[in-house]
Amino acid sequence: MRPGATGRGPGADLGDYVRAAAERGELVVQPRMGMADPDLMAEGLRAVAAAPARTAGTITLDSYTRVADHDGARAALRDGRDLNGFPIVVHGPEVTARVAATAGPAIPVQVRHGSATPSTLFRVMTEAGLSASEGGPVSYCLPYGRVPLAESVASWRDATAELVESCRDNGSRAHLETFGGCLLGQLCPPSLLVATSVLESLFFAQHGVTSLSLSYAQQTDATQDIEALAAMRRLAGALLPASVDWHLVLYTYMGVYPRTRDGARLLLRDSAELAVRGGAERLIVKTTAEAFRIPTIAENVAALVDADSTARRAAALPTAELVDPTDVLREATGLVEAVLALSDDVGTALLRAFATGLLDVPFCVHPDNLGRTQGAIDDNGRLYWAESGNLPLPGGPRSSGRRLTSAQLLGMLRAVPARYEQAALTRSSAPTLDPALTPATSSSAPILDPASRSSAPILDPASRSSATTMEASVTATTTIPASPPQAATDWSAAPHRIAVLGTGSRGLAVLERLAARLAEDTSGRRVELYAIDAVEIGAGRIWRTDQAPWFLMNTPACEVTMFSGPPDDGPARPSAGPSLAQWWQRVMPDTAEPNGYAERGLYGRYLRFVLDTIEASLPETVTLERVRAMVHALDRTPQGHYQLMLFDGRVIEADRVVLATGHPRTELTPGQRALAAFAEARPRLRYLRGDSPADMPLDEIPSGATVGIIGMGLSFFDVMAALTAGRSGHFAENDTGELEYVASGWEPRIVAGSRGGAPLPARGRNQKAADHSYRPRLFTTQRVRAARAERKLDFRADVLPWITAEVDLVYYETALRQRFGAGAATAFTARAVALAEHSPGLADPAGLTATAELVGPSGTPESGGLAGLAAEFGLADQPPLGLLRRGRPFAGSRFADPGDFEKSLAELVREDLVQAALGNVDGPVKAALDALRDVRQVIRTAVDFGGLTPESHRRDFLDWFVPLAGFVSTGPPLHRMRQFLALLNSGVLRVVGPDASFGMDADRDRFTACSPNVEGSLVRLDVLIDARIPTPDVRRDPAPLIRGLRDSGVLTSFRNTGGDTDFDTGGVAVTDAPFHPIGADGRPDPGLHVLGIPSEHTRWFTQVGSSRPGAWGSFMRDADAIAGSVLAPIAADRPLTSARPGR
Amino acid sequence: MHSPVPQRRRVVLSTVSSDSHTWNLVFLQLLLQELGHEVVNLGPCVPDDLVVAAVREHRPHAVVISSVNGHGHLDGVRLARALRAHPDTRDVPAVIGGKLGVAGADDGAMAAELIAAGFDRVFIDAGELDALTGYLAMLPARDRLQVTGAR
Repeated sequence: MRPGATGRGPGADLGDYVRAAAERGELVVQPRMGMADPDLMAEGLRAVAAAPARTAGTITLDSYTRVADHDGARAALRDGRDLNGFPIVVHGPEVTARVAATAGPAIPVQVRHGSATPSTLFRVMTEAGLSASEGGPVSYCLPYGRVPLAESVASWRDATAELVESCRDNGSRAHLETFGGCLLGQLCPPSLLVATSVLESLFFAQHGVTSLSLSYAQQTDATQDIEALAAMRRLAGALLPASVDWHLVLYTYMGVYPRTRDGARLLLRDSAELAVRGGAERLIVKTTAEAFRIPTIAENVAALVDADSTARRAAALPTAELVDPTDVLREATGLVEAVLALSDDVGTALLRAFATGLLDVPFCVHPDNLGRTQGAIDDNGRLYWAESGNLPLPGGPRSSGRRLTSAQLLGMLRAVPARYEQAALTRSSAPTLDPALTPATSSSAPILDPASRSSAPILDPASRSSATTMEASVTATTTIPASPPQAATDWSAAPHRIAVLGTGSRGLAVLERLAARLAEDTSGRRVELYAIDAVEIGAGRIWRTDQAPWFLMNTPACEVTMFSGPPDDGPARPSAGPSLAQWWQRVMPDTAEPNGYAERGLYGRYLRFVLDTIEASLPETVTLERVRAMVHALDRTPQGHYQLMLFDGRVIEADRVVLATGHPRTELTPGQRALAAFAEARPRLRYLRGDSPADMPLDEIPSGATVGIIGMGLSFFDVMAALTAGRSGHFAENDTGELEYVASGWEPRIVAGSRGGAPLPARGRNQKAADHSYRPRLFTTQRVRAARAERKLDFRADVLPWITAEVDLVYYETALRQRFGAGAATAFTARAVALAEHSPGLADPAGLTATAELVGPSGTPESGGLAGLAAEFGLADQPPLGLLRRGRPFAGSRFADPGDFEKSLAELVREDLVQAALGNVDGPVKAALDALRDVRQVIRTAVDFGGLTPESHRRDFLDWFVPLAGFVSTGPPLHRMRQFLALLNSGVLRVVGPDASFGMDADRDRFTACSPNVEGSLVRLDVLIDARIPTPDVRRDPAPLIRGLRDSGVLTSFRNTGGDTDFDTGGVAVTDAPFHPIGADGRPDPGLHVLGIPSEHTRWFTQVGSSRPGAWGSFMRDADAIAGSVLAPIAADRPLTSARPGR
Repeated sequence: MHSPVPQRRRVVLSTVSSDSHTWNLVFLQLLLQELGHEVVNLGPCVPDDLVVAAVREHRPHAVVISSVNGHGHLDGVRLARALRAHPDTRDVPAVIGGKLGVAGADDGAMAAELIAAGFDRVFIDAGELDALTGYLAMLPARDRLQVTGAR
């Protein structure tokens, strides 16, 4: 086709090279490779030239150079920042020539760029002796930038002519490849790709280029692509002058790429076969790393070798001649002819065509593109025109009449990668084009030449084994594996893939135990861990590290660890690492307070340190990938694997999945919805729902506004701090030792209210050692187990008396020790325990648990139970603890005015501060309330997995006891309570009173707060904040992942059934350890685990964010149980021994 | 969290000067329109002064910058400074998100740098789409309460 040989520049002529290869039946394969560093770029070219494949070299330029921001590229180089390509202008012709020379004289090197104004870089390129590049006035303008089309056409006109001339002066021949066959890479029907490529080739030819290539990018359907390549060949043959030497170049898929290595490899191989079948002479490949990052040299070479070997197997298979390109050809021809009719000058014709919409690129937002067209994928996977705008299509305009949604767009952008990810799952090795994708006419065997092609029977599934052999030999000659396999490593077996969803404390604990167990694994099996989090990997949403410093933890730092064992002489590693306090002292020696309450963000940093430590410790056979994305669906494949669909379109496959998703963002309740709607309709008002306070837009509340806060629990204290200390107010101690608040003037006015009317009491000053653990004496696990074995329990009748007895025991024991010494306390406790031994199970014939609260007014208060026993020891004057009344300190009281109430409240808080200061060992009240925390595990034994009767579970436990227990035993640090008092005194904070109700005043357009027991308490509010943490409820969780799992029956709400009652709890139903979710069919899913807050109600008190140093508690035991189960499939040969029994 | 009935906001949607990607912008445009917002999509490779000019012209409730080419943090810092330097655009809420750095970059440091340069929020990776939409829904309409101090 090309008349005579032209002169040669320093390197090989791209057109000649491709033609020679084609004559030998070889496909030329070429990477998209570009590195900023000249040495690295040279190394890349050398590797491409040396690869065992028919390769052409590439120098891809960086994006600064592409937009002619050479100063930007220079600055980045100077600062040592990485660029995404080779800055040819900055490096200059000499360096470029030296780099290009490494490809050797036989291999052509092409410059790939993407610039709408390529003159400067063409000049440097030709000065360096290079003659081949690519682009086009349309394809490097519309999709990629904002240079006006007219400017691009003019610039390309000049640049093309200059390139031709410079090359001629050099003794070489300019080669240009159109980029018009790609455009936006996805969702453009083939006819427009063909037409644009042909028009750009005509433009180049018109400006003197005699060596050309026409591009086409692989789309959604192989047959349609072959039709397109056939149509392009016919059109180019008909329209390009005979003096022009040209070939077709195929781009491996340019859209969203498969996220799995196997899926990516499959797509690459299909593109190599497509190139051969479609008659393209050259292929620009992509790598398996494409979806993640800029590929390495080794990955590029691996892709070239893979494509080359695939093409060799596919060589001279049924080709473009065998398909019917009529539809694509008619459309493309119509487009090209309509454009060419606009002007003799192709550039001018292109401008007029875009101005009138005769050409109109789908989804392109360039101002010079009309933007009336849309491409879409039909049910058969082929592209079609959903909206054809003004395109001159045969048969007239097309319109679907439907509005495209973002979800549909995402689905179409994901269609190809999803198909290949799926296909890779179902094919074992060396896959070829799916027979279903091959042209119908090519399915008859005689088309194959049996004599010469018998070794490459692509249509014969039986040939897969020979293909596998071929692949093995290919990999053996290259350096694809990143690191040499160790002798013990079984690289051939598929890796065991474990996805942990949510990397807050629960997910991290599982990863820590996985890593600890894997450190002792000798199976040699590869393991891939995925740590997935939508907010911050290694910290999660609640502990994210960028939150404000006034959000604090609620547990002293010394009681917090994420390592399953204490640090030793060795480096920190899973099962041996520092507690939060130890780490804090190390990183911030001047400010760390081991007994203090760390900032939540600091804890997040500790959690990230733990994850880093885990990752660093992993054996070579184990990889950990951090994936920052929201998972919107989890599907089970027919093979029993799981696919996690990420919001950004990625897919992760896993053999086991751990759901540790933490605090949900639940739907608003009807009451909350009414409040939200009220605010929404009134511009002055704001309503903020319960959430992690760090995620509430508290900054946006204006100073001086009146802010109501519903609930006075832990979140209340966070909100209080954000609106005061967070607004530059500060606290100073006065002469009497009380705190005073110094306002900044930027605070809003705060009005708090709750049912009890008082804030959570403070936790006692911590006097317990970090590894302190409490052994219940009366309310024991054995007692509860014995009773549970017989029947479902009634919480109030069976369990509560023993809880109060245990708490009272600590109360009197502590009081005795303070008054009469340790001996008296020991004797008292021994008597109580001896009495209890007469009581089998939860029955109480000795009357030990009979207290005033439980027996009620008709009983014999103070005389019975532990109070009576304590009286015998000299504590007759000790006021009863009154645990059950502590949630309602103002019950039965009425107040004449708000001042009257706030005086009582201040007294209550002062008294609480006195008790808290006594400490959680020496102070009877705080020691007793602390015991309620210590018996949580026993309560769980009674309650979890339906231990209570349904009615008692709902009424006695969840509705009554849980809020009470939370109120009295989970309080804020002591100094938060001092701040509360200071704010109350300053008037910045008001408390509305007990039984507070919040409402709406439509006449005045304000929210309201008032207490029925405080006269004159009505306050009108501008902002209303619900500071109660929402209760998890799988039935009302709007997160797409949870909703999907619920709708497909994988997750169900735990129903506590018994007798003729039935309580649907809303917690995710799980088995006992290792906590598999129980599906709608009643069966556990053995590959899934649900840990932590989502399973609340099935289990109790899952809102635990850390483990405690020392013997394992349930937090670590639960994580380890899951780790053991998850690794069971690979540990089958040899049982693992690293699990430590908890005490 | 935001209220269930979102307010209509005008959003200038853009990317940074060196970023030639379009699909992220097309997707965001559709998504934000579905949520009831009015979107001015500036397309790819937008120079800083064009963003500033567009904000001055359209007076949006927010500027949303999406970038996926790995240069977003470098270009973003410069863009934020440009926005904050002009009296007409100094106060417009501006957020940035996407793949803002090359692989292995320190997300936290990057985000801090972008915030320091003047962005109000940084959403790294697409997983934070809901955070973006939530943020937009919470933005006060201009005729609402003025936020004073305390930022």
